Amino acid sequence: MIAFETQPQRVVNAVELRGIRKTYDQFVAVEHLYLNIREGSVYGLLGPNGAGKTSTIRMMIGITLPDDGNVRLFGEPFHRGQLRRIGYMPEERGLYKRMKVLDHLVLLGRLHNLSERDARARARKWCERLQISEWTYHKIEELSKGMQQKVQFIATLLHDPDLIIMDEPFSGLDPANAVMLKDVLVELKKAGKTILFSTHRMDAVERLCDSICLIDHGRAILEGDLKKIKASYGKNHVQIECDGDPYLERCPLVQSVNNYGNYVEVQLKPGADPQELLRVTADRVRISRFELLEPSLEEIFIDQVGRNA
Amino acid sequence: MHNVWTLVKREYLERVRSRSFLIFTLLMPAVMAAIMIIPATLAQYNAGGEKKIVIVANDPKLASVVGHELGNAKTQAHGGELERQGAPNVYTIQVSTDTSDAERNRLGQQVSSGQISGFVWLTDDALARHAVVYSTKEAADFGQAHDLRNAITTGIARYHLSQKGMTGAEVDALLTPMRLDTVRIEKGREGASGAAVFLTAFAMVMLLYTVVLIYGMAVMRSVIEEKSNRILEVLLSSVTAKELLAGKIIGVGAVGLTQILVWVIFALIFSVPGLVATKSFLGELHIPMTAIAAFAVFFLLGYLLYSAMYAAIGAMVNTDQEAQQMQWPALIPLVLGVVLMNAVIQHPNSALAFWLSLVPFFAPILMLMRIVIEQPPLWQILLCLALIVATIYGLLSLASRIYRVGILMYGKRPSWPELRRWLRYAG
Repeated sequence: MIAFETQPQRVVNAVELRGIRKTYDQFVAVEHLYLNIREGSVYGLLGPNGAGKTSTIRMMIGITLPDDGNVRLFGEPFHRGQLRRIGYMPEERGLYKRMKVLDHLVLLGRLHNLSERDARARARKWCERLQISEWTYHKIEELSKGMQQKVQFIATLLHDPDLIIMDEPFSGLDPANAVMLKDVLVELKKAGKTILFSTHRMDAVERLCDSICLIDHGRAILEGDLKKIKASYGKNHVQIECDGDPYLERCPLVQSVNNYGNYVEVQLKPGADPQELLRVTADRVRISRFELLEPSLEEIFIDQVGRNA
Repeated sequence: MHNVWTLVKREYLERVRSRSFLIFTLLMPAVMAAIMIIPATLAQYNAGGEKKIVIVANDPKLASVVGHELGNAKTQAHGGELERQGAPNVYTIQVSTDTSDAERNRLGQQVSSGQISGFVWLTDDALARHAVVYSTKEAADFGQAHDLRNAITTGIARYHLSQKGMTGAEVDALLTPMRLDTVRIEKGREGASGAAVFLTAFAMVMLLYTVVLIYGMAVMRSVIEEKSNRILEVLLSSVTAKELLAGKIIGVGAVGLTQILVWVIFALIFSVPGLVATKSFLGELHIPMTAIAAFAVFFLLGYLLYSAMYAAIGAMVNTDQEAQQMQWPALIPLVLGVVLMNAVIQHPNSALAFWLSLVPFFAPILMLMRIVIEQPPLWQILLCLALIVATIYGLLSLASRIYRVGILMYGKRPSWPELRRWLRYAG
């Protein structure tokens, strides 16, 4: 009798870092970092400059080896054969200036194990899609900066990677290309690709990420589902638009006040009731808008760093 | 291997297709041809002038014999002497027996005013001291000095021999210099002439030196360019640093080989008429197969050795200017090899030549030189090759460690202690 085994529906992690550590002399770049990136999710690796984001990514894809701990990709221990499933756009990015666009894309495609013909066909298709097809036979150095950025995206995505890693993707991008890149990435997410952003500009990726890891000085200080993290913080921020100044600085409900001129932003003390604040404010000035807000990632980060310090 | 091959192909095609490769490949033979042809051509136009020389001597008979020798100087300048190029001078001789200081002053004034080319002070006093003075405005004319020295030496000998009763013919026979032909023995048979072997060795060594230097530096510059293009990390997401380094060294080396091949073909085409012309004084210019094989082997080894060093230097620095300051560890041994070449040429069998040619950094130049001009024992060649290969292995692994760390480092150049730590990083 033949037994049909049913494959259990389990979530595979595209990336699993298990206690990786990297030191350069006395400097600890990454310290015992654990993180899991679910397949098909958009993940943000966030933290200030020098927090260890780039070091983490380099260990993730074998550019450097961890001193300790191990890396698993797509459910297996890391091996170089997996690199053909990964597209990496580093922060320090560039191209051979004197190569022609198409030749260059074919080269990078070949290095990701595409055949010459396949690489050429894919490169043409992408160039058409990003509207640089009339430039395929020009040298990279003849292209405008914006066009070079497009070539760089194509180079990252040409081999149709399952895991896309972008280190500071929006730094140095012109606004039009930033929108274009975001649209392409959203589309790739819909197609089931896993995307990892690494950036110090948390506002830029806040809306795109499903999960995040906040790191500082090489340590993870907060990891998990972004919505849950935010929910756990609650809505303790209030924006008030009103005539005149409500003078809330000395109000016992209030932690801090930021007056932006057109509106006032108030952070409540823990446990304070926003309803109470509305009453207090309404007594003092005429309110045109009163809105409860979630804290931004940046505020969460600052709060976390303060707690760990 | 697939990655290395892809990288080699890029490196090779990008370079060979570039305009600078084409220009350099064509220009170099043109420059070499100019260096060989122009002096020879100029020498032909630089015909010897008419030289009016006064010989001052106590003995007028001696003076006239010397004068006669000098008058025949052109017949003595035979083809075998490399230092006597161009057409010979034609001398007009006057003899004076007035050895007073007044005469000396008068002749000095005649030299200044250009009435005579110069005067020889061949007094008994000078003869006794074996030191003759030739006073002229053209003190740098080595051709003239050479003619005079010969004429005085043979003139004096001829004068004394004929006084002892020898006939003119006997004296001529005695004074005709012996010709010496150096012939190299190869496998028991007589081979090329000494001059031809020397020229071959010299040309090969200079070619090796030039190409190793040019392409070693090309490797360095290419690493720096990749660093400043910021493309390395893009590449490192699909290839290892070792593959990158191998692709670069092999690719650039292949370009060097291509260039040599083009030059050799040029040389074969253009040197055929030249060979006929030089045959008279060089003898048959033939390059033995062992020399060609040795050149190929030592070129490849020398290139690997030095390009590994240059790649490491390139990885350590960020700009061409910094590289200029840092390239001495690679440049000095290479130049020193060429400087020491002289010592090896003169005594290729000496202990000094043996030890120097075993030093891996000099071996590509010095062992090649020895193999071409003599045949060192096989065990010496094998020992030398073993040492070089071991050194290349060590250097490549050092260089790849430096390279692996260096290509991800921007900014400050590493200090020596930092460099030592780079070598210890796990990856």
